[in-house]
Amino acid sequence: LTALTGRYWQTCAGHTGNIKVCDSSQLVGCIRTVKIPTWFEEHLTEDNQKYMRHSMAEEYRRQTAEKLCPLKDEPWPRHEWTEGSRRVGLVAIKLGMAPIWTKSGERHAVTMLQVQDCHVIRCTSKEEYDGRSAALAVGGKNVSPFYRSEKAMELFRNAGVPPKQKVTIFKVSDNAIIKPGTPLYAAHFRPGQYVDVTAKSIGKGFQGVMKRWGFKGQPASHGQTKTHRRPGASGPGGDPAKVFKGKKMPGKMGNVFVTAYGLKIWRVNTKYNVLYVHGSVPGHTNCVLKVRDTVLPTRRSTLLNPPFPTYFTEEEGDLDEDLYSDDLFVHTEPSVTLS
Amino acid sequence: MAACTRGLKNLLTSIKFCRTLQFQDERFLCTSALRFANNEPPKFVPPSKPVIINKTQTTASTRRFLSPEFIPPRGRTDPFKYFMERRDMVRRRKALNIPEFYVGSILAVTMADANASGKTNRFVGICIQRGGRGLGATFVLRNILNGQGVEICYELYSPRIQTIEVLKLEKRLDSNLMYLRDALPEYSTVDPEMKPVPFSPTGEVPVNKLKVKMCPKPWSKHWERPQFAIQGIRFDLCMTPKQMEFVQKKYAKPWEEYDMLKEYDTSKLEEQIFAEVQQEMNK
Repeated sequence: LTALTGRYWQTCAGHTGNIKVCDSSQLVGCIRTVKIPTWFEEHLTEDNQKYMRHSMAEEYRRQTAEKLCPLKDEPWPRHEWTEGSRRVGLVAIKLGMAPIWTKSGERHAVTMLQVQDCHVIRCTSKEEYDGRSAALAVGGKNVSPFYRSEKAMELFRNAGVPPKQKVTIFKVSDNAIIKPGTPLYAAHFRPGQYVDVTAKSIGKGFQGVMKRWGFKGQPASHGQTKTHRRPGASGPGGDPAKVFKGKKMPGKMGNVFVTAYGLKIWRVNTKYNVLYVHGSVPGHTNCVLKVRDTVLPTRRSTLLNPPFPTYFTEEEGDLDEDLYSDDLFVHTEPSVTLS
Repeated sequence: MAACTRGLKNLLTSIKFCRTLQFQDERFLCTSALRFANNEPPKFVPPSKPVIINKTQTTASTRRFLSPEFIPPRGRTDPFKYFMERRDMVRRRKALNIPEFYVGSILAVTMADANASGKTNRFVGICIQRGGRGLGATFVLRNILNGQGVEICYELYSPRIQTIEVLKLEKRLDSNLMYLRDALPEYSTVDPEMKPVPFSPTGEVPVNKLKVKMCPKPWSKHWERPQFAIQGIRFDLCMTPKQMEFVQKKYAKPWEEYDMLKEYDTSKLEEQIFAEVQQEMNK
């Protein structure tokens, strides 16, 4: 229940490393640091717990309602899209995969990503960030405030936004900065455009060299003694007389950030904020992802006149519920006749 | 002869005259009676409305059928994703009529094919399997053409499918007829020029309790094992009861009946989804 961080300190004979061993006898064992000393419901009665939850939900609704019209409450000056400008991305949730068909009858698989409660949290100007480009912190999916530290809550309080599960940073050109608290919607991307999706891949745990790096292993029979999935040789012989750094060996696989580049957007649903993105995307179902415009030079030309700096409902409120790519077969049309 | 007919005619006319007189008298009597009773003009009594009873079809007896691909599989996906897929499925069903059919029914499917003459391609076969959920739902049709067994797997919601007609609607003892691959060819042959057999939209679907004779072993799968739970094969012609009992006992998994994690009760979900789909289709 309490959020604990456990760090195991081991003293062993030849191990120096970065650990400052003051008194070796006292450090044997486990030192646990408690991040949050008490959880919110520990000393509350049941009625109060219910009330806390209820009041938090109300607070969320009020905050989202306040931010619904970003263009009405003192927005920052908006600039036009130019050739080299980069705009913000979104934080989305992977729903699952489905088939789609083109007008010529070919079938492709798409992943459905839903943009849930995406708000801009903070804006850092070029000078503050790294001297090259401005950065916008964007948060996705609302979560409970009771399990977040005070430092994180301060960030969300400054933006006037409910706490988010994932906060990512998008490097953005100076003409595309947005005021913190602005909601971002799926219509920010249009069908026919290409995107890059980044997420943490599914963790596979400690894996051997055949699964992790695709080594061929050894034959199953013909005299192999206890050697079927081992790496075999680890490098050249006496000349370097060492194993090079970065040698592919067994280890923890997965649970790292992986980006899938150049994924086409086939369809956008503006009512439920769902993006239909080509192919597969790293991460498990219901995981939080970072979606941004492609970095690939050959696909950037499709992004002509996008909603810049982002899509505002008050301005372009009359979009259809479903926006389709040109070559996508819409289910309401009659069957395809090939010729 | 002529006199007789003339006489008859006179008789008939006189009868008619009498009848009309009778009616007139009645009406006259009726109104006059009221008039004498109330001393007012008679109130207009409208005739009773005719009650139309539709004896051909009553709502209670039309079959409630929800296609199996609407029922979501058990998993951790958000039900919202299935909701979005169902909307697309209903849109496609409004454009193309996908009839009700079961495994064991005989269907004819016309599909758009760039390499065929006339650009369409018609295939008739018996449905042996219905797989997949959501938009990717498929069904496999099997037929034997010129001595060669042919199975085609069609996607229900593919835009290349132009028509799906049910030539014969029936169910079989199993929900998966893959064993027809190892059965005698006569059980998988369907006449491509078959005329559709009429069936009623009400009442129970006829169950064909046919038990199929198999080719000699080895089969592609061990159909006698309890994991397949096949009712539609004549096992008494293929193996002795002792062999059958041995196989059933050896490969039985009696603990699966008590496995709570394998339970998946879809009744409530089915009702909800059926109501939703009916509403959308009738819009």
